[in-house]
Amino acid sequence: MTDRTLLSKMKDTAGGRRSDRIAKTVFLSAALLSASFVFLIAGIVLIRGALPFLTDNDGLGSVDLLRFLTADVWLVGATFASNLYGVGYLILSTLFIAFLSLSVSFPIGVLTALFIAKVAPKPLAKVLRTVVETLASIPSIVFGLFGAGVILKLVYDFSMSIGYQSKGGNSILATALVLALMTIPTITSISEVAIRSVDKALEHGSLALGASKTQTHFKVVLAAAKSGIFTSAILGIGRALGEATAVSLVAGGRRSGVSFDLLDTTATLTTMMLEGLKETTGLDYDIRFSVGLVLLVVILITNLTLNAIKRKVGSVHVKA
Amino acid sequence: MKRDENVEGAFRIDGLNLHYGATHALKDVSVEIARNRVTALIGPSGCGKSTFLRTLNRMNDLIPNCRVEGSVYYRENDIYAPGTDVIDLRRRIGMVFQKPNPFPMSVFDNVAYGPRCQGIKDKKTLEDIVMRALRDAALYDEVKDRLRESALSLSGGQQQRLCIARAIAMSPDVILMDEPTSALDPIATAKIEELIVGLRKDYTIVIVTHNMQQAARISDFTAFFLSGELVEYDATDTIFSHPSNPKTEGYITGRFG
Amino acid sequence: MSRRSARKVRDFILNAVTYLSSTVSLAALIAILAFVFGKGSSLLNFDLVVENFESQGFVADFHAGFETCDCVAGIDLPEGSYYSEKWGIALSDSTDLLGKTVVEVDYVHPDSPFAYLHDKGVGTEPIPLRADYDVIRIAFDSYATALSRYGAEAMIASLDANDSIREIEFETKGGGIRGSILTTLVLIGLTLLFALPIGVGAAIYLNEYAAVGRFSKLLRSFIETLTGVPSIIYGLMGLAVFVPLTVKLTGATGGNLLSGAMTLAVILLPVIIRTTEESLKVVPDDFRSASLALGASKTQTTFQVVLPSALPGIMTGVLLAIGRIVGESAALVFAIGTTIKDDVSLTGKSTSLAVHIWAMMTDEPANVELSATIAIIIVVIVVFLNIMIKLITNRYIRKRLGVGA
Repeated sequence: MTDRTLLSKMKDTAGGRRSDRIAKTVFLSAALLSASFVFLIAGIVLIRGALPFLTDNDGLGSVDLLRFLTADVWLVGATFASNLYGVGYLILSTLFIAFLSLSVSFPIGVLTALFIAKVAPKPLAKVLRTVVETLASIPSIVFGLFGAGVILKLVYDFSMSIGYQSKGGNSILATALVLALMTIPTITSISEVAIRSVDKALEHGSLALGASKTQTHFKVVLAAAKSGIFTSAILGIGRALGEATAVSLVAGGRRSGVSFDLLDTTATLTTMMLEGLKETTGLDYDIRFSVGLVLLVVILITNLTLNAIKRKVGSVHVKA
Repeated sequence: MKRDENVEGAFRIDGLNLHYGATHALKDVSVEIARNRVTALIGPSGCGKSTFLRTLNRMNDLIPNCRVEGSVYYRENDIYAPGTDVIDLRRRIGMVFQKPNPFPMSVFDNVAYGPRCQGIKDKKTLEDIVMRALRDAALYDEVKDRLRESALSLSGGQQQRLCIARAIAMSPDVILMDEPTSALDPIATAKIEELIVGLRKDYTIVIVTHNMQQAARISDFTAFFLSGELVEYDATDTIFSHPSNPKTEGYITGRFG
Repeated sequence: MSRRSARKVRDFILNAVTYLSSTVSLAALIAILAFVFGKGSSLLNFDLVVENFESQGFVADFHAGFETCDCVAGIDLPEGSYYSEKWGIALSDSTDLLGKTVVEVDYVHPDSPFAYLHDKGVGTEPIPLRADYDVIRIAFDSYATALSRYGAEAMIASLDANDSIREIEFETKGGGIRGSILTTLVLIGLTLLFALPIGVGAAIYLNEYAAVGRFSKLLRSFIETLTGVPSIIYGLMGLAVFVPLTVKLTGATGGNLLSGAMTLAVILLPVIIRTTEESLKVVPDDFRSASLALGASKTQTTFQVVLPSALPGIMTGVLLAIGRIVGESAALVFAIGTTIKDDVSLTGKSTSLAVHIWAMMTDEPANVELSATIAIIIVVIVVFLNIMIKLITNRYIRKRLGVGA
């Protein structure tokens, strides 16, 4: 009998010994508990988030769902005296900023991964890999601090030099830059794995045809690693959509209106959730759960869409 | 070195020595490869025949710790001389590998890859090149409706012929083949052997094979390698009917290898 | 051939762009470290770590029958310090940990009457004036009050011109991060206390007990989904579930360290489960069969043979978890709150180091220097943890290869 069969027999007869049975139950409960949290979170956000739409909110009247999702202003009226909350513009801003930051971090991240995996000499690659890992482990609050201390100033100076008065540097540009810095390590590390797992035979085939190393890298290697690279982008976007404290320190807390102007202040679903946390009751407090619910839905839809695109892209061939 | 016919040489290898780190993989090999003929390289596993093949298009450069001494003359120039344009060399000398390695692209893009890398952009030109290459590789009829489909959807034998077409699209003078049929079934093998014989009139072909019957079937000249040394090189008929070297005879008759 | 040179140009541009992109990560890391260390190192000193955040204010006067001392200074006084021999006290102009300009006490002679003040407000307890305290004002009988606004030199001059004072108002130092450091340590301990048993237990079930099949795959996928949830959502959950729970169970009145630790524990579960499972997988089955063949029960095998072998991997998970706890901000903002406190209790609010930064940066005005100082501490901790993880995995891998080979 091989060890595996012995072990599987053991797994079955574990019920025989009392201590084993107790242990198994304990461990099973731990596993079930761990698995249940995802439902707990979903349930809480769903229920608490739906309440403002379904109840009277202490006389303020229920919040209109459609208006909530499409409105251009965070709150019409005074706090605690109005139920006219809206996140429409926040949804657009959040998505816009996330994809904007991806447009910066994706090329940089993928090229850095290519560099580390294929171009750089071994010692340099090791150093750079450590640099990327270190960057990945820096907490988001420190990125936010860096953004507030350095990037805001840079954006402000830049805007002054082109004759535009920005609000202390708080802007879409600053937010996108901070998010880009935070997501580059994610994209780089996952893309690097994908690039390194490309079959060497493909590279040799390309070189044997008289292509240069660079042509091989860009036309064959990156194309073959497409799937993994796309996954890194999906994870990067996920991080950008959910980032809260770092973004709130550079965004500017815009209370209404979508803007695509890079130097305008902005706000995201997460920054709105952080504001006004001084209150402990009332609609102004409960509404944060609704915003959280919207955030989860946005993230879910984005993930599903990008995954669907990824499957399509995987089957379509890339032009050489 | 004996030659039955008076054919011009495509390659002249002179005193070639190759080391992988401490291993002396090729020992003082000197031979001439005939133009527009099929030359087979045979010998037991690890004898250096694939290594020798790769010296002809400098693909050994990709292996770390590889040291080459001696000369390989192609068109009057030593391809190991410093300053040689290796990329240009590999355009003139194509290679087909043991396991088919089509790129994850369409059939058309695979064949058009090489020309595109050279800078050819005109759609009509590319189409002409691809058609011609696919026809010459005896693949066109089977894929003409599937040009835009992924190359990975082809069968093993078709993929290998695609790789041959890919190499032909560069209009090389020489095609090097490293055991091109060892991963294929007998029917696909037969098709490719037929293809190789047909290509002979336009290309110089050097093929590594561990299958002696294959060498006997399709090659004009045969080189027998043993432990990194070129033991005997002659016309295929001669090698297989009355070899001069007892070691060659031992291998051919199956006493070893 | 122009095609060849066109290709060479294209290759060169692509290569240049590749090299350039790779420098971005390096430049970013250097910039962040330079900023954090540059801005924050000026405030980095031992006082910061041990001082309270809140400064305490006192109004005091001398006890009856005091005497001015005519004391010569017992130590060498620093530059810019003004000393009154009459009173035995040295003052200078300085800035406090929050950046305000204050008049700071540099030295109090042991015979100085300022060493024996009485708290005017609360009774007859003596409060000595100590070095590092900030003097706000000194009031005299029939003489102009010396305000800190006028500076240390003026204050010393006023003192020298008088023989007695009516009262002195002063403050202990504030702006320290002792409370936040303590909070962070408590959070690490509590969170691991909650998360390790559950996480390791779940991993043991999945790897040692569960049959490979749809059920365990399903469990694993539910646990993996947790990793994609943004931490602010965990904060919401903490707010909605753990805060009321702890309020009910203990005497807490709102967010507290317990609810914070519970929230963090949920965030860390996937990490701990994943690393533990990885390290359990690596333990050779031979160990298990040998133990079972000796007649040990499965439980004994798990605890006495498998877990000890998997310990390095679990350690890695713990280190990763600690790094995440130290850096977590959004979830704790909701699950605990943003009140910076000096007295840290399990059922009270306080801030971890990361939340302390958040609280200061969202204050008016934002205190970037002190935030940067705290960031130095955080970055050093995180880098240190990373190095430890690398060391453990390297030694572990080397040991494993030795075992496997």
